[in-house]
Amino acid sequence: MSSDATLWVLPARPRRKLDKYVAIAALSFRQRLDDRAVLVGRVMFYAIILAIYSRLWQEVLGASGASLLGDRALGHSAASYVWYLAVTEWIMLAQPSVYLEIEADVRNGDVAYQLSRPLSYVGAKLSAALGELALRWLVLGASGLMLGRLFSGEWPNPEGLVGALLVGALAGLVMLLAYVAIGLSAFWLHDVTPIFLIWQKLSFVLGGLMLPIGIYPDWLRVIAEHTPFAALLYGPGQLVVQGGADNVLRLAVTLAAWGALFLMVVVLLERRARRNVCLHGG
Amino acid sequence: MSKSIARTLGSNASFVLALFARQLSASFALRASFFTSAVVMLINDAMFFSTWWVIMRRFGSVSGWNLEDVMCLFGVSASGFGVCVVVFGGVYDLARRVQEGELDTFLTQPKSVLFQALACRTQPSGWGDLAAGIGMFALSGVVSWSRSPWVVLAVLCSAINFTATAVVMHSLAFWIRRIHTLARSLWDFTVTFSLYPPSLFGGALRVVLFTLVPAGLVAYLPVEMLRTPRPLTVLAATGGTVLHAAFALWLFQRGSRHYTSGNRITT
Repeated sequence: MSSDATLWVLPARPRRKLDKYVAIAALSFRQRLDDRAVLVGRVMFYAIILAIYSRLWQEVLGASGASLLGDRALGHSAASYVWYLAVTEWIMLAQPSVYLEIEADVRNGDVAYQLSRPLSYVGAKLSAALGELALRWLVLGASGLMLGRLFSGEWPNPEGLVGALLVGALAGLVMLLAYVAIGLSAFWLHDVTPIFLIWQKLSFVLGGLMLPIGIYPDWLRVIAEHTPFAALLYGPGQLVVQGGADNVLRLAVTLAAWGALFLMVVVLLERRARRNVCLHGG
Repeated sequence: MSKSIARTLGSNASFVLALFARQLSASFALRASFFTSAVVMLINDAMFFSTWWVIMRRFGSVSGWNLEDVMCLFGVSASGFGVCVVVFGGVYDLARRVQEGELDTFLTQPKSVLFQALACRTQPSGWGDLAAGIGMFALSGVVSWSRSPWVVLAVLCSAINFTATAVVMHSLAFWIRRIHTLARSLWDFTVTFSLYPPSLFGGALRVVLFTLVPAGLVAYLPVEMLRTPRPLTVLAATGGTVLHAAFALWLFQRGSRHYTSGNRITT
């Protein structure tokens, strides 16, 4: 490595701090690699959803259906909608259930001794989830490419695909922060599944997981566009069909803003949660 | 075989009802949790159905199915699923119980091991599914007072088929190790397919939907009976349900001959 390159390397102390989290992420990646049944289950579910919706789009867009799509539609071919779904489902299905792990730690009291370790509890949970997320990105990404081609019958525009994958990865990171925030609410609620289910279904409807929000009634589309869900799912899905470097940049900035907000919520919740644990005696 | 199955069913019906009553009162002990689970599931189902509302509002119909038809399909599937997990909440864990030797405690009882394993738990969220299903029936306009016996029969068929599907898939744990996740996934796939009109699927996929992932038995046949209650559709729905349930009971009984475990019975 040249001396110039070393300038870009982090100083030793922060690097050592970061090494712990990288090691946790790497370990989580390897552990999840052994849990093949879960990965196979997700890939099968991915295939089934794409199979169902490719049939549905072929059916509704056949004959004169395309003329009913309206001005804000993504495209007029079933293939566009299959690729849209391949991207939104890739983002959604890749998410690890970190909220359940945090909830379990709180419920069985493990969190008390994990807080005393020389590393951030939330940082460690995020690192482990990132390792799992990276594995799922790879497996589901490769599957999604093959399944998308199989069910749509064509490849998407490469520029749009690359943009969608980059922004989709950013969306996945932002969503992970939201999942951690949901998990941390276990310090007050104990059972976070209801909150998660509501978040999931809001993603479903306002994010346009299955259907692009462009075909929604106007009032619902306007509401959806003002929520983080549209940026997390509809945005990357739209990119794979419509592409555009300026769209990638605009969406990345929007996601970064939502990510900063979720990060603040996570930090706030962690601080309050620590106080909560102390109050109850750990 | 049929005599033994009929005897099993008869002698265990009142036992299952007693277990169900116990589970229900236990659920009500944690009232807030019970209502939260049910209400969240109701919201969950309503949000899922909004996809169909958007599609039908835009396109009018899909493969000859309009919004009312899909509401009817959703009503049967959601209600059938709800009844299944409320009465037989143990369906989720059956394969795990087999693999981890947890059937030991049931073997000492004078009642069917299968019915004990199925009815030892209830899922409060199932009430939300049931409420969503009833709401869909009401909104669909397809259902009238004169048709209500068919609605009850269709939901009953669906619930029995959901249970039979789970028993078949989870019974594979007697022969194949670490099947729990796959069994859960196959059951989830059946639920997923049962929420989409059958006219979308043709060819080999239709065969799969009546065998490996039997959404056809769980939803399509009961809905067809409800939409056009003719002798043929009634026979197909009820006959399919009886055969499916009998196969599930037979498979579990065959499988239980292979059951081995470390002893979980302690004194």
